[in-house]
Amino acid sequence: MTNTSRRQHTLEVLVENAPGVLARVAGLFSRRAFNIDSLNVGPTENPAISKMIIVVGVEGHSLEQVIAQLDKLISVISIKEILTGAATEVHDTQPDYQN
Amino acid sequence: MAKHVPTPNGTEMTGATSLVKSLEAAGVDVMFGLPGGAILPAYDPIFDSTIRHILVRHEQGAGHAATGYAQVTGRAGVCIATSGPGATNLVTPLMDAAMDSVPLVAITGQVPSAAIGTDAFQEADIRGITMPFTKHNYLVTDPAEIPRAIAEAFHIATTGRPGPVLVDVAKDALQKMTKYEWPSSINLAGYKPQTAPHAQAISDAAALIAQSSKPVFYVGGGVIKADAHKELRQLVELLGAPVVTTLMARGAFPDSHPLHMGMPGMHGTVAAVTALQKADLLITLGARFDDRVTGKLSTFAVNAKILHADIDPAEIGKNRHADVAVVGDVKQTIVALIPALKAALAKNQPDLSTWLRQMNSLKETYPLGYDLPSDGSLSPQHVIERIGKISGTETIFTAGVGQHQMWASQFISYEHPRTWLNSGGAGTMGYGVPAAMGAKVGAPDATVWAIDGDGCFQMTNQELVTCALNNIPIKVAIINNESLGMVRQWQTLFYEGRYSNTSLDSKRVPNFPMLAESMGCVGLSCERPEDLDKTIEKAMSINDQPVVVDFRVHRDAMVWPMVAAGTSNDEIMIARATAPDWDSQEL
Repeated sequence: MTNTSRRQHTLEVLVENAPGVLARVAGLFSRRAFNIDSLNVGPTENPAISKMIIVVGVEGHSLEQVIAQLDKLISVISIKEILTGAATEVHDTQPDYQN
Repeated sequence: MAKHVPTPNGTEMTGATSLVKSLEAAGVDVMFGLPGGAILPAYDPIFDSTIRHILVRHEQGAGHAATGYAQVTGRAGVCIATSGPGATNLVTPLMDAAMDSVPLVAITGQVPSAAIGTDAFQEADIRGITMPFTKHNYLVTDPAEIPRAIAEAFHIATTGRPGPVLVDVAKDALQKMTKYEWPSSINLAGYKPQTAPHAQAISDAAALIAQSSKPVFYVGGGVIKADAHKELRQLVELLGAPVVTTLMARGAFPDSHPLHMGMPGMHGTVAAVTALQKADLLITLGARFDDRVTGKLSTFAVNAKILHADIDPAEIGKNRHADVAVVGDVKQTIVALIPALKAALAKNQPDLSTWLRQMNSLKETYPLGYDLPSDGSLSPQHVIERIGKISGTETIFTAGVGQHQMWASQFISYEHPRTWLNSGGAGTMGYGVPAAMGAKVGAPDATVWAIDGDGCFQMTNQELVTCALNNIPIKVAIINNESLGMVRQWQTLFYEGRYSNTSLDSKRVPNFPMLAESMGCVGLSCERPEDLDKTIEKAMSINDQPVVVDFRVHRDAMVWPMVAAGTSNDEIMIARATAPDWDSQEL
């Protein structure tokens, strides 16, 4: 409840490469009323692990709360915030999936 | 029950047998379920298993029974159902278990893997449906994955913050041959619950406590889940501060203890609600600042600093900012906090005497109470109070949801953990009877009373058949006010007495004692105060059959105190339009 103004953060989320993981992440954002500005999924060099780049619009929730809830998903292996400049480059090259 | 003999790894068997062997290896001794097409292959090896399978009459009953079993034993409860409607009937118990952090493992059959996605007969995407309220879930289509999925399910359900896990197994995975391989270890890259609290957080917590002059222990259900009640008592007595126990924590701290102010929240005591509101520090242990406790959040305990200890990092700061957060198992947290606090108090012993005097004054001035009906009819609070007194503090109580639930929390004295089971977060009407069934299976030597409402009872009473036929002699008190009582209370208070669809008055239809008798139970009824004690004693004397007592109580009784939904705890009412006399209190 600390951030009330809308701000974008970019998260690099490593997840299990397993059926249903995208639904788990998307469903979490939807039911917790977190905003996804963009989300893309790609492979990593480890075929068991996928990488999601999620741009989160934080409004009414703290980024810590978004990360803590995301981290509760068993399929989420790690979460890292990446710098805004780098993030803009990444998500501008990918299609947007509006929440 | 035959003793479980471990199956050697590498043994050839069907996926179904592998599933049952895996459940045995996970230590399951009882499960509640109902078969159907997709899960049918598993029921053949269940026939030969050491696991006691209790055949319910509705899958919802299986889910709540597994919860009752888990809440009493502290072990994972297990329920099993078929695909489609069998699985969706487990949805309510799974949501209920998620809200109250109950370790539950649900097994469901799924249509054959080739048919998934084709709208096959009895196909439902139960993994998708249950994602929001399971801690994790699985869809298994390869029989080789069954043992690992089961092992992980039990690990996830019972460690960290407990919760429900569902394992959906396709029918062909149950039918195919496989090699049974029970995993020797579990390593989930994305699941490493932090159980040991950080030393720095403990010393910060101790320092914060030693600086406070108006601290309160805000105790939640996590203390019971962590079996930390003994340690809690040591910590409380070390500091000598008042304690409140939430609806999920009733029994975590003895009601008879002089430092216990009662339950906080919407129907909490004046002392407990005011202790939170006026405190300068909330020592929050395994609680989550639920809206039923905080009332209007922006006005909750505005002068208090928050020490928040919880095993779930996502609870920290979710509803209320924590000044000091301690993430970890609450038992380990308390064990670490006791010596740290001793050292901090040795340097600076705060004087809590004024604070305690104020709280004790509120406790004495505003005890829980009720008026006896002027027409001589039965008072629901009095019925519940007498059941508590006569059956004693070793009894396990379950409740449905509504007025009777609040009265059962208020007017029964809880001295031990795991003696009060209710649906706190979800508010599931119909929880009482099946949860009592599961509780009695988990604690067969205990007396188990379900305090139920006439509305709730009509949702899940079919499990009394299960109880009668499986030697599960629970006792059910129907607090029968011929109403959906809590909704009616809100209509009285907030809708000008316009009782839209809350009357269950139907000339004693159903006749509850006859309904009970038809299900193989003893049916009793009581409608006069002079018959109350002897009726309860009669029910207490029957231990070879379930007993149902229809207590026909006064309809207009209301639950007080009350903080109306969405208002501030400062606006607590002790009766209709009656606030406590704050001017006479030195606060």
